[in-house]
Formats: sequence, C-alpha cells, structure tokens
Amino acid sequence: MWEVARVTEDDALRLGGVSLGSRLIHGTGKFSSAAVLREAIRASGAQMITLAVRRLHLDGDRRSELEGIDLTSYTLLPNTAGATSAQEAVRLARLARAAGLSDFIKVEVVGEPETLLPDPIETLTATAQLVKEGFTVMPYASDDVALALRLAEAGAAAVMPGAAPIGSTLGVLNAHNLRLIIAKCPVPVIVDAGLAAPSDAARVMEWGAAGVLVNTGIARAGDPVAMARAFSAAVAAGRVAHRAGLAEEAHARASSPTEGIPSALVRP
Amino acid sequence: MSQPSAGSSGPATGARLRERLQAARLYLVSDDATPAARLPLVLEAAIAGGVDIFQLRRKGVEPEELRQLAVQCRDICHERGVLFIVDDWVDLARDCGADGVHLGQTDMPLEEARRRLGDEALIGRSTHNREQVVEAMAHRADYVSAGPIHQTPTKPGRPAVGFEHVAVAARRTEVPVVAIGGLGPQEARLALESGADMVAVVRAICSADHPQEAASRFRDAMREAQTWPWIFINGVPRKCRPGEHLGELAAALELDGAGVVVEVNGSIPARESWALVELRAGDRLEVVHFVGGGSGD
Repeated sequence: MWEVARVTEDDALRLGGVSLGSRLIHGTGKFSSAAVLREAIRASGAQMITLAVRRLHLDGDRRSELEGIDLTSYTLLPNTAGATSAQEAVRLARLARAAGLSDFIKVEVVGEPETLLPDPIETLTATAQLVKEGFTVMPYASDDVALALRLAEAGAAAVMPGAAPIGSTLGVLNAHNLRLIIAKCPVPVIVDAGLAAPSDAARVMEWGAAGVLVNTGIARAGDPVAMARAFSAAVAAGRVAHRAGLAEEAHARASSPTEGIPSALVRP
Repeated sequence: MSQPSAGSSGPATGARLRERLQAARLYLVSDDATPAARLPLVLEAAIAGGVDIFQLRRKGVEPEELRQLAVQCRDICHERGVLFIVDDWVDLARDCGADGVHLGQTDMPLEEARRRLGDEALIGRSTHNREQVVEAMAHRADYVSAGPIHQTPTKPGRPAVGFEHVAVAARRTEVPVVAIGGLGPQEARLALESGADMVAVVRAICSADHPQEAASRFRDAMREAQTWPWIFINGVPRKCRPGEHLGELAAALELDGAGVVVEVNGSIPARESWALVELRAGDRLEVVHFVGGGSGD
C-alpha cells in the first residue's frame, strides 16, 4: 500500500545540483534513541536529512544520536539552529561545511527565544552572505510573502516558511499566506516546522509546496517509524494530487447524472 | 556548626582559597618517618624555604594525637599564609579548621566529602590514570595529584606512572595538577614542563637535614621551568604543551575523529594544515561535530 510513496523520476525535487526522489526532508532531533531515528529515516524514504552543529564533549561520552547512520548515503542539510544573529548563523554554516559532507545550509536565526520565531532581517542578511560564499542556502522563514521573495532574490535555493512555531504540533496556522508564498515564490517552497499530522503535509503538498521538513511530528509520535511511513505516503499523495490538478467548484453540483432519473422517483 | 576555617570572614573564602591554590608551586606532604614532635619544626623550616601548601598525612596514629598535631600544624600554616590540608580524615579537616582535605582513590567519595565540608573547602584527589582525572573533575575536585612519578616507599607497591600521566592530567583539567612521587628539584622542574602546576614533596624535604634549604632548592629549580600555556576549548580553560600545534593537541585529546571541525580564534583551518597552526596562550578553540537536530535550539 506504500507504493504510492514512490515519486516518478521526472518529478524529482532538484536543489543545488542534487535530485531528491522523496520530497520529505527528515529532521533528526528529539528521537528517543539512535535506533528509532535510523529506522524512521529508513521508513520515510527521505533522501535529505537535517543535522545540527554542536560542541564535542571533550571528556566522556561523545556518541550522538547520529551514531550508526551512514551520513554519506544522504544529502545533508545542516542547520544553524542556536544562532540568534546573522553573524552566528554564518559562523555555524562555515563550521558545518568544514566537516566536508555538504554545501547545503538551512539558515535558521531565532529572533525571539520563547516562540523560536525567526528573525527575518538577520535571516535575510545571513542568506545573502552565505550565497556569496557558495553555499546552497535554504532559509527557514516566517510565513511572509514579501520576505520569501526577498530571500529568493538574495539567492536562496529554496525558501522554508514555517507552518507553525518550531517544535509545536499546531499544523498549518496561516493557510492563506502559505498558499500565496507557494504561488508567488520563484524558488521551491519547502514547508517547515509545526507539521504535526500527515494530513498537514498532504495539504501543503496539494497546494504546490515543493516539499516538507518534518521532525517533531515524527520524533514525538507514538510510533515514530510508522509515522515516518505515514508522512512519506501523505507527501507523495499530496504531490501527485497537486500534479493531477485539484477540482475546484464553488457551488454545489451533483456528482451523478441529472438525466435519466427513473420517473417514479421524480416528484410530480 | 563546625569550627570555621581560618580566614572565613565572608562568602569569598572559597574563591580566595582557590586563588591561593592556583598560585601555589611547592606542596609539602608530611612523612610518617618524621616524629610527631619534630614535624612542627620541619614544617616551619620548609615554609621558610618556600612551601605554599602543606598536607598532614599520618597513618596509624590515635585520633586524639592526630587532632593535636593537626591543630598545631594548622596554626603554623595559617600564621604564615600557607594552605593547610588534611589527608583522608574529612571530619578532622572540618573540625580543626583546615583549608581542605586530600582524598586517595580508596578514601571517601568526593560527593560525600563535599557534603560534609561544604562548597568553600578545597578537595584534592589522587589520580593514577586518565579516567580518574575525568572522574575527579566530574565531582568538582579542586586539584588533582598525578603520580607516583617514581615508585616510592611512601606508597609501596603502587606502579609508577611517570611524567606521561602528568601531561594527561594537565590536558584534562582546568584545576591545578600536583605531580608527586619521589621527585628531586631538577625533576620538579621537569614535572612543571610536563604540565604540572605544583610539585608535592615528601621525603626530600621531611627527611632532609636542612628542610629549609631543601625546600628552597625546589623553589629555585622550578622558577626556571617553562610552564604550559592556557587556552580555551569550547569555553573551558585547558592547558597545552608550549609551542604545540593543533595537530598534536587534536591527537592528544582525540579531536581528530571523522566529522570533527576545529575553529581557532574564529577561523577554521583545514585539517591538512593543522600542523601549521601553532597554539598560543589565550587561543580560543571551538570543537564541533554534527548531532541530531531539526529546528530550534
């Protein structure tokens, strides 16, 4: 039944020189164990995974939840999580690239500590700088149309508007804005943050989002591995639906023929 | 409440003790062979020769005899601005107003000693290998001793760890490292050049005919030593060998694993050129790797 999750070759998502068969980007935070994370990624069919850059413990346990995942078999999307300014984001991006595994960077500059909502000005500044330095930049942004256009203009390879605050499971809070961004933005729009249910992912894919990034929705599910599979199917279904073209009717109209109804049923 | 330790006249006592500990170079430990009646004389002479910290270590004596000796030594030390440490006997250290206690690997656990002594008191810990250094740091030891450098009659049967362990300890702590174990003045200098901050001496001073001269010979020899510079790694003060390059440091601290990135003072040298990056005092290193993450902090 999961065969639907396969995307056709000609419909791969192209970003910064790579071609992704799956439009689901898989976060790697908040999983209960390295084994669950590994199985969830496998079940999701994701080809791009996010990572964070953090200090190595000088003494004691240095293992991370990435233990046992062959990072070279995925396209890595390191993030700048933890940055609160463009300068910090640029520094984290350079550290991430120096690991030699990826030129991609998800710019993430938190502007407000409690809501974790992004700082649009610092995000734009960091994006412009990192594009100049040759990164493939995918900024996480608020659901603002003008900002999305500015980020695209600055050279972002994709724009990643949040559906809802990071780490929340509030789903799509501003459907109208997201649809406008998808409609207007000249680069792929990947909806990030807050997608709790596969139906949220399917919905934004139906609207024409190029992809989604899911972390908490999978990591904190009762069965993360099964949920990864469900998101995979939902993303693929939403994508196929978008390509098929959604039927749009503003008024009620019968779905069955109105001709040839047996006369006995027709009121006099 | 227990008797206050000397100089406990405010909340900064602990900080002042640690400052003095940082500055200390010569650490005298008493010798069981020195008769109790002679010990105060030896101590006074050694202090005149340049001892900055004294540990009363006495095996197989009656508690009351030990207590009296402790009070006597405490007074001598405190009148002369020398730190006074009691070996093993935590409650005695607390009750006689010592500045701290020294604990061997088989003595009281550090947490329990800290609970009994409070945050102000100094707690030192003997270490013989890297794991013990890491463990001592995890339990907030104020200094670690590293030894025995040589086999000594003070600790019969304990294998010598050499200067190598001094260097290991120096790299793994931000607290003073005390080299101990059969050292003479020239070796004391070598100990500092291997990363130690202090040298502990037992017989070479206690059993000397002239403890004052013996102590000053140590002082003089150590004055010339080239000590290890402090750098910061991930915000934590750490020492490195003088003139060391990044490649050597990374190998010593096992920072050269796959996927590890090192930033030095804001720029990221390529791994191939780590050998060209000479570390200097005050350098700030960030050592990072990838961990799981989606978004947010």
